[in-house]
Amino acid sequence: MYYKFNGFTQRLVGAAASTAYNPQGLKPIVSTESPALVFGTTTKLASDLPATDSFLGKNQVPDLQKLFQSDSKADGLPVHLKRGVPDKLLYRTTMALTIGGTIYCLVALYMASQPRSQK
Amino acid sequence: MAHQAHSYHMVDPSPWPIFGAAAALLTTSGLIMWFHYSSTTLLTMGLLSMLLVMLQWWRDVVRESTFQGHHTPTVQKGLRYGMILFITSEAFFFLGFFWAFFHSSLAPTPELGGQWPPTGVKPLNPLEVPLLNTAILLASGVTVTWAHHSITEGNRKQAIHALTLTILLGFYFTALQAMEYHEASFSIADSVYGSTFFVATGFHGLHVIIGSSFLTVCLLRLIKFHFTPNHHFGFEAAAWYWHFVDIIWLFLYMSMYWWGSC
Repeated sequence: MYYKFNGFTQRLVGAAASTAYNPQGLKPIVSTESPALVFGTTTKLASDLPATDSFLGKNQVPDLQKLFQSDSKADGLPVHLKRGVPDKLLYRTTMALTIGGTIYCLVALYMASQPRSQK
Repeated sequence: MAHQAHSYHMVDPSPWPIFGAAAALLTTSGLIMWFHYSSTTLLTMGLLSMLLVMLQWWRDVVRESTFQGHHTPTVQKGLRYGMILFITSEAFFFLGFFWAFFHSSLAPTPELGGQWPPTGVKPLNPLEVPLLNTAILLASGVTVTWAHHSITEGNRKQAIHALTLTILLGFYFTALQAMEYHEASFSIADSVYGSTFFVATGFHGLHVIIGSSFLTVCLLRLIKFHFTPNHHFGFEAAAWYWHFVDIIWLFLYMSMYWWGSC
Protein backbone atom coordinates (compact mmCIF):
# COMPACT_ATOMS: atom_id res chain seq x y z
CA MET A 1 0.00 0.00 0.00
CA TYR A 2 1.40 3.39 -0.95
CA TYR A 3 0.44 6.72 0.56
CA LYS A 4 0.54 10.37 -0.48
CA PHE A 5 -0.05 13.61 1.43
CA ASN A 6 -3.27 15.40 0.49
CA GLY A 7 -2.40 19.10 0.76
CA PHE A 8 -6.03 20.18 1.08
CA THR A 9 -7.13 17.89 3.93
CA GLN A 10 -3.60 17.79 5.38
CA ARG A 11 -3.79 13.99 5.75
CA LEU A 12 -2.17 10.89 4.30
CA VAL A 13 -4.39 9.10 1.80
CA GLY A 14 -3.94 5.92 -0.22
CA ALA A 15 -2.20 6.28 -3.57
CA ALA A 16 -1.10 4.22 -6.54
CA ALA A 17 2.50 3.13 -6.96
CA SER A 18 2.93 5.54 -9.87
CA THR A 19 2.01 8.45 -7.59
CA ALA A 20 4.37 7.18 -4.87
CA TYR A 21 7.29 6.98 -7.25
CA ASN A 22 6.56 10.52 -8.55
CA PRO A 23 5.89 12.48 -5.34
CA GLN A 24 3.91 15.74 -5.48
CA GLY A 25 5.89 18.72 -6.63
CA LEU A 26 8.49 16.75 -8.55
CA LYS A 27 8.31 16.20 -12.26
CA PRO A 28 10.81 14.27 -14.39
CA ILE A 29 13.39 16.71 -15.63
CA VAL A 30 12.96 17.36 -19.34
CA SER A 31 16.06 18.75 -20.91
CA THR A 32 15.43 22.11 -22.56
CA GLU A 33 18.91 22.39 -23.95
CA SER A 34 18.91 22.62 -27.72
CA PRO A 35 21.30 20.23 -29.52
CA ALA A 36 24.64 21.69 -30.59
CA LEU A 37 24.30 23.71 -33.78
CA VAL A 38 26.38 22.58 -36.71
CA PHE A 39 27.32 25.09 -39.41
CA GLY A 40 30.12 25.50 -41.88
CA THR A 41 31.85 28.17 -39.79
CA THR A 42 31.95 28.67 -36.03
CA THR A 43 28.76 30.27 -34.74
CA LYS A 44 28.15 32.39 -31.66
CA LEU A 45 25.50 30.82 -29.45
CA ALA A 46 22.99 32.86 -27.46
CA SER A 47 24.14 30.96 -24.40
CA ASP A 48 27.57 32.55 -24.82
CA LEU A 49 26.03 35.95 -24.02
CA PRO A 50 25.95 37.19 -20.41
CA ALA A 51 23.59 34.93 -18.49
CA THR A 52 20.82 37.40 -17.65
CA ASP A 53 17.26 36.32 -18.53
CA SER A 54 16.47 39.36 -20.62
CA PHE A 55 12.86 38.38 -21.40
CA LEU A 56 11.00 41.27 -19.73
CA GLY A 57 13.61 42.28 -17.18
CA LYS A 58 15.91 40.47 -14.80
CA ASN A 59 15.19 38.98 -11.39
CA GLN A 60 15.45 41.62 -8.68
CA VAL A 61 13.77 39.56 -5.94
CA PRO A 62 17.03 38.54 -4.15
CA ASP A 63 18.08 42.22 -3.90
CA LEU A 64 14.68 43.22 -2.56
CA GLN A 65 14.78 40.33 -0.10
CA LYS A 66 18.08 41.66 1.21
CA LEU A 67 16.60 45.15 1.47
CA PHE A 68 13.52 44.09 3.42
CA GLN A 69 15.24 41.56 5.65
CA SER A 70 17.94 44.00 6.69
CA ASP A 71 18.92 42.57 10.03
CA SER A 72 22.15 44.43 9.45
CA LYS A 73 20.26 47.70 9.11
CA ALA A 74 18.02 46.86 12.08
CA ASP A 75 16.13 50.07 11.40
CA GLY A 76 13.06 48.87 13.25
CA LEU A 77 10.91 50.39 10.52
CA PRO A 78 7.51 48.75 9.97
CA VAL A 79 7.03 47.12 6.59
CA HIS A 80 4.89 49.97 5.20
CA LEU A 81 7.77 52.45 5.65
CA LYS A 82 10.68 50.12 4.93
CA ARG A 83 11.68 51.72 1.64
CA GLY A 84 12.11 55.18 3.13
CA VAL A 85 11.11 58.39 1.36
CA PRO A 86 8.63 57.13 -1.27
CA ASP A 87 6.79 55.09 1.40
CA LYS A 88 6.66 58.09 3.75
CA LEU A 89 5.27 60.37 1.04
CA LEU A 90 2.54 57.93 0.07
CA TYR A 91 1.66 57.30 3.73
CA ARG A 92 1.39 61.01 4.52
CA THR A 93 -0.70 61.68 1.42
CA THR A 94 -3.10 58.88 2.40
CA MET A 95 -3.27 60.15 5.98
CA ALA A 96 -3.94 63.73 4.86
CA LEU A 97 -6.68 62.58 2.53
CA THR A 98 -8.42 60.31 5.06
CA ILE A 99 -8.13 62.52 8.15
CA GLY A 100 -8.87 65.72 6.24
CA GLY A 101 -11.71 63.97 4.47
CA THR A 102 -13.17 62.67 7.74
CA ILE A 103 -13.24 66.18 9.21
CA TYR A 104 -14.85 67.53 6.00
CA CYS A 105 -17.33 64.66 6.15
CA LEU A 106 -18.34 65.43 9.75
CA VAL A 107 -18.81 69.11 8.89
CA ALA A 108 -20.88 68.24 5.83
CA LEU A 109 -23.05 65.79 7.77
CA TYR A 110 -23.55 68.37 10.55
CA MET A 111 -24.67 70.95 8.01
CA ALA A 112 -26.92 68.45 6.26
CA SER A 113 -28.58 67.60 9.58
CA GLN A 114 -29.60 71.24 10.17
CA PRO A 115 -33.30 71.93 9.37
CA ARG A 116 -33.79 73.88 6.12
CA SER A 117 -34.57 77.53 6.76
CA GLN A 118 -38.20 78.28 5.80
CA LYS A 119 -38.51 80.45 2.72
CA MET B 1 16.57 39.35 18.85
CA ALA B 2 13.60 37.21 19.99
CA HIS B 3 12.48 34.44 17.64
CA GLN B 4 8.90 33.25 17.51
CA ALA B 5 8.08 29.68 18.59
CA HIS B 6 5.12 29.31 16.19
CA SER B 7 4.53 29.36 12.46
CA TYR B 8 2.03 32.23 12.33
CA HIS B 9 2.73 35.79 11.16
CA MET B 10 2.44 38.57 13.73
CA VAL B 11 2.28 41.60 11.43
CA ASP B 12 3.97 44.96 12.02
CA PRO B 13 1.66 47.75 13.24
CA SER B 14 -0.13 49.12 10.18
CA PRO B 15 -2.28 52.19 9.50
CA TRP B 16 -4.16 50.68 6.55
CA PRO B 17 -7.12 49.11 8.39
CA ILE B 18 -8.20 52.35 10.06
CA PHE B 19 -7.46 54.42 6.93
CA GLY B 20 -9.54 51.89 4.98
CA ALA B 21 -12.42 52.32 7.40
CA ALA B 22 -12.15 56.10 7.01
CA ALA B 23 -12.14 55.68 3.22
CA ALA B 24 -15.36 53.66 3.49
CA LEU B 25 -16.91 56.47 5.56
CA LEU B 26 -15.89 59.08 2.98
CA THR B 27 -17.19 56.96 0.09
CA THR B 28 -20.59 56.26 1.63
CA SER B 29 -21.20 59.80 2.87
CA GLY B 30 -19.81 61.00 -0.47
CA LEU B 31 -22.58 59.08 -2.20
CA ILE B 32 -25.12 60.88 0.01
CA MET B 33 -23.64 64.28 -0.82
CA TRP B 34 -23.73 63.40 -4.52
CA PHE B 35 -27.30 62.08 -4.53
CA HIS B 36 -28.84 64.81 -2.39
CA TYR B 37 -26.64 67.87 -2.81
CA SER B 38 -24.99 67.28 -6.23
CA SER B 39 -21.48 67.56 -4.74
CA THR B 40 -18.80 65.05 -5.73
CA THR B 41 -15.90 66.29 -3.57
CA LEU B 42 -16.38 63.84 -0.72
CA LEU B 43 -17.01 60.90 -3.07
CA THR B 44 -13.82 61.65 -5.01
CA MET B 45 -11.82 61.85 -1.78
CA GLY B 46 -13.35 58.56 -0.66
CA LEU B 47 -12.58 56.66 -3.85
CA LEU B 48 -9.08 58.09 -4.03
CA SER B 49 -8.24 57.18 -0.44
CA MET B 50 -9.76 53.72 -0.97
CA LEU B 51 -7.46 53.21 -3.96
CA LEU B 52 -4.40 54.41 -2.00
CA VAL B 53 -5.20 52.12 0.95
CA MET B 54 -5.70 49.08 -1.29
CA LEU B 55 -2.45 49.73 -3.17
CA GLN B 56 -0.38 50.13 -0.02
CA TRP B 57 -2.02 47.35 1.99
CA TRP B 58 -1.55 44.75 -0.73
CA ARG B 59 1.94 46.12 -1.52
CA ASP B 60 2.78 45.39 2.12
CA VAL B 61 1.41 41.82 1.86
CA VAL B 62 3.75 41.25 -1.11
CA ARG B 63 6.64 42.69 0.90
CA GLU B 64 5.86 40.48 3.90
CA SER B 65 5.61 37.33 1.78
CA THR B 66 7.93 37.51 -1.22
CA PHE B 67 10.59 39.74 0.33
CA GLN B 68 10.46 38.88 4.04
CA GLY B 69 9.39 35.22 3.81
CA HIS B 70 6.67 35.36 6.47
CA HIS B 71 4.18 33.21 4.52
CA THR B 72 4.80 29.77 6.00
CA PRO B 73 2.54 26.87 4.97
CA THR B 74 0.44 27.62 8.06
CA VAL B 75 -0.03 31.24 6.99
CA GLN B 76 -0.85 30.16 3.46
CA LYS B 77 -3.49 27.75 4.73
CA GLY B 78 -5.16 30.64 6.56
CA LEU B 79 -5.09 32.72 3.39
CA ARG B 80 -6.68 29.85 1.44
CA TYR B 81 -9.51 29.58 3.97
CA GLY B 82 -9.92 33.35 3.82
CA MET B 83 -10.20 33.50 0.04
CA ILE B 84 -12.65 30.61 -0.08
CA LEU B 85 -14.83 32.21 2.59
CA PHE B 86 -14.74 35.53 0.76
CA ILE B 87 -15.77 33.95 -2.55
CA THR B 88 -18.55 32.08 -0.73
CA SER B 89 -19.84 35.37 0.65
CA GLU B 90 -19.84 36.81 -2.88
CA ALA B 91 -21.82 33.80 -4.06
CA PHE B 92 -24.47 34.62 -1.45
CA PHE B 93 -24.43 38.23 -2.62
CA PHE B 94 -25.36 37.15 -6.15
CA LEU B 95 -27.85 34.62 -4.79
CA GLY B 96 -29.91 37.56 -3.54
CA PHE B 97 -30.15 39.11 -6.97
CA PHE B 98 -31.03 35.78 -8.57
CA TRP B 99 -33.77 35.40 -5.93
CA ALA B 100 -35.15 38.80 -6.89
CA PHE B 101 -35.10 37.83 -10.56
CA PHE B 102 -36.95 34.56 -10.06
CA HIS B 103 -39.42 36.18 -7.63
CA SER B 104 -40.49 38.63 -10.33
CA SER B 105 -40.17 36.44 -13.40
CA LEU B 106 -41.83 33.20 -12.23
CA ALA B 107 -45.09 35.00 -11.38
CA PRO B 108 -45.24 38.17 -13.53
CA THR B 109 -47.77 40.68 -12.18
CA PRO B 110 -50.64 42.25 -14.15
CA GLU B 111 -48.67 45.50 -14.27
CA LEU B 112 -46.15 43.68 -16.47
CA GLY B 113 -48.89 42.28 -18.70
CA GLY B 114 -48.86 38.94 -16.88
CA GLN B 115 -45.89 37.75 -18.95
CA TRP B 116 -42.10 37.59 -18.88
CA PRO B 117 -40.46 39.41 -20.60
CA PRO B 118 -43.00 42.12 -19.74
CA THR B 119 -45.17 43.60 -22.50
CA GLY B 120 -43.19 46.01 -24.65
CA VAL B 121 -39.75 44.80 -23.53
CA LYS B 122 -37.60 43.46 -26.35
CA PRO B 123 -34.89 41.33 -24.69
CA LEU B 124 -31.37 40.88 -26.07
CA ASN B 125 -30.94 37.89 -28.38
CA PRO B 126 -29.11 35.27 -26.27
CA LEU B 127 -27.57 33.69 -29.37
CA GLU B 128 -25.73 36.85 -30.43
CA VAL B 129 -23.23 38.83 -28.27
CA PRO B 130 -24.19 37.09 -24.97
CA LEU B 131 -23.22 33.72 -26.50
CA LEU B 132 -19.90 35.15 -27.67
CA ASN B 133 -19.34 36.48 -24.15
CA THR B 134 -19.98 33.00 -22.78
CA ALA B 135 -17.36 31.55 -25.13
CA ILE B 136 -14.91 34.30 -24.18
CA LEU B 137 -15.18 33.63 -20.44
CA LEU B 138 -14.97 29.86 -20.89
CA ALA B 139 -11.86 30.31 -23.03
CA SER B 140 -10.36 32.58 -20.38
CA GLY B 141 -10.91 29.81 -17.83
CA VAL B 142 -8.85 27.52 -20.04
CA THR B 143 -6.04 30.07 -20.50
CA VAL B 144 -5.80 30.81 -16.77
CA THR B 145 -5.48 27.06 -16.10
CA TRP B 146 -2.80 26.90 -18.80
CA ALA B 147 -0.98 29.74 -17.01
CA HIS B 148 -1.18 27.85 -13.71
CA HIS B 149 0.31 24.71 -15.20
CA SER B 150 3.08 26.78 -16.79
CA ILE B 151 3.92 28.28 -13.40
CA THR B 152 4.07 24.87 -11.66
CA GLU B 153 6.32 23.61 -14.47
CA GLY B 154 8.65 26.58 -14.12
CA ASN B 155 7.95 27.87 -17.63
CA ARG B 156 7.91 31.63 -17.07
CA LYS B 157 7.61 32.71 -20.70
CA GLN B 158 4.59 30.51 -21.41
CA ALA B 159 2.96 31.51 -18.13
CA ILE B 160 3.28 35.18 -19.11
CA HIS B 161 1.74 34.49 -22.51
CA ALA B 162 -1.18 32.51 -21.06
CA LEU B 163 -1.95 35.04 -18.31
CA THR B 164 -1.76 37.94 -20.78
CA LEU B 165 -4.23 36.13 -23.03
CA THR B 166 -6.55 35.60 -20.05
CA ILE B 167 -6.51 39.31 -19.23
CA LEU B 168 -7.11 40.30 -22.87
CA LEU B 169 -10.12 37.98 -23.01
CA GLY B 170 -11.42 39.65 -19.85
CA PHE B 171 -11.08 43.10 -21.44
CA TYR B 172 -12.80 41.84 -24.59
CA PHE B 173 -15.76 40.63 -22.47
CA THR B 174 -15.99 43.98 -20.68
CA ALA B 175 -15.86 45.94 -23.95
CA LEU B 176 -18.59 43.79 -25.53
CA GLN B 177 -20.80 44.09 -22.43
CA ALA B 178 -20.38 47.87 -22.44
CA MET B 179 -21.46 47.93 -26.06
CA GLU B 180 -24.46 45.71 -25.29
CA TYR B 181 -25.49 48.04 -22.45
CA HIS B 182 -25.35 50.95 -24.88
CA GLU B 183 -27.27 49.16 -27.62
CA ALA B 184 -30.00 47.55 -25.48
CA SER B 185 -33.50 48.78 -26.27
CA PHE B 186 -34.45 48.74 -22.56
CA SER B 187 -32.93 50.56 -19.56
CA ILE B 188 -32.71 49.99 -15.81
CA ALA B 189 -35.87 52.09 -15.45
CA ASP B 190 -37.95 49.70 -17.56
CA SER B 191 -39.93 47.92 -14.84
CA VAL B 192 -38.57 45.14 -12.69
CA TYR B 193 -37.13 43.53 -15.85
CA GLY B 194 -34.65 46.36 -16.27
CA SER B 195 -33.88 46.48 -12.55
CA THR B 196 -33.10 42.78 -12.18
CA PHE B 197 -31.20 42.58 -15.48
CA PHE B 198 -28.94 45.60 -15.06
CA VAL B 199 -28.28 45.21 -11.33
CA ALA B 200 -27.31 41.53 -11.65
CA THR B 201 -25.28 41.87 -14.86
CA GLY B 202 -23.89 45.20 -13.67
CA PHE B 203 -22.51 43.73 -10.45
CA HIS B 204 -21.17 40.82 -12.48
CA GLY B 205 -19.40 43.26 -14.81
CA LEU B 206 -17.89 45.02 -11.78
CA HIS B 207 -16.57 41.66 -10.59
CA VAL B 208 -15.08 41.00 -14.04
CA ILE B 209 -13.23 44.31 -13.75
CA ILE B 210 -12.07 43.44 -10.23
CA GLY B 211 -10.94 39.99 -11.39
CA SER B 212 -9.12 41.44 -14.40
CA SER B 213 -7.31 43.89 -12.10
CA PHE B 214 -6.32 41.06 -9.75
CA LEU B 215 -5.00 39.03 -12.72
CA THR B 216 -3.09 42.07 -14.01
CA VAL B 217 -1.34 42.48 -10.65
CA CYS B 218 -0.47 38.77 -10.82
CA LEU B 219 0.95 39.27 -14.34
CA LEU B 220 3.20 42.09 -13.10
CA ARG B 221 4.36 39.91 -10.20
CA LEU B 222 4.91 36.96 -12.55
CA ILE B 223 7.12 39.12 -14.78
CA LYS B 224 9.07 40.25 -11.72
CA PHE B 225 9.85 36.66 -10.68
CA HIS B 226 7.72 36.75 -7.51
CA PHE B 227 6.16 33.30 -8.06
CA THR B 228 7.91 29.96 -7.63
CA PRO B 229 6.64 26.62 -8.97
CA ASN B 230 5.61 25.57 -5.45
CA HIS B 231 4.53 28.89 -3.92
CA HIS B 232 2.25 31.21 -5.88
CA PHE B 233 -0.89 31.60 -3.79
CA GLY B 234 -1.62 35.14 -5.03
CA PHE B 235 -2.03 33.70 -8.51
CA GLU B 236 -4.17 30.81 -7.27
CA ALA B 237 -6.47 33.22 -5.43
CA ALA B 238 -6.86 35.31 -8.60
CA ALA B 239 -7.58 32.18 -10.63
CA TRP B 240 -10.23 31.01 -8.10
CA TYR B 241 -11.88 34.43 -8.25
CA TRP B 242 -11.82 34.38 -12.04
CA HIS B 243 -13.45 30.93 -12.19
CA PHE B 244 -16.12 32.20 -9.77
CA VAL B 245 -16.82 35.16 -12.08
CA ASP B 246 -17.11 32.73 -15.00
CA ILE B 247 -19.60 30.51 -13.14
CA ILE B 248 -21.75 33.48 -12.13
CA TRP B 249 -21.90 34.49 -15.79
CA LEU B 250 -23.03 30.97 -16.77
CA PHE B 251 -25.92 31.21 -14.30
CA LEU B 252 -26.75 34.73 -15.52
CA TYR B 253 -26.71 33.57 -19.13
CA MET B 254 -28.89 30.53 -18.52
CA SER B 255 -31.47 32.29 -16.32
CA MET B 256 -31.71 35.92 -17.45
CA TYR B 257 -30.49 35.86 -21.02
CA TRP B 258 -31.81 32.50 -22.20
CA TRP B 259 -34.76 31.42 -20.02
CA GLY B 260 -35.72 35.04 -19.33
CA SER B 261 -36.06 35.93 -22.99
CA CYS B 262 -38.51 33.19 -24.02
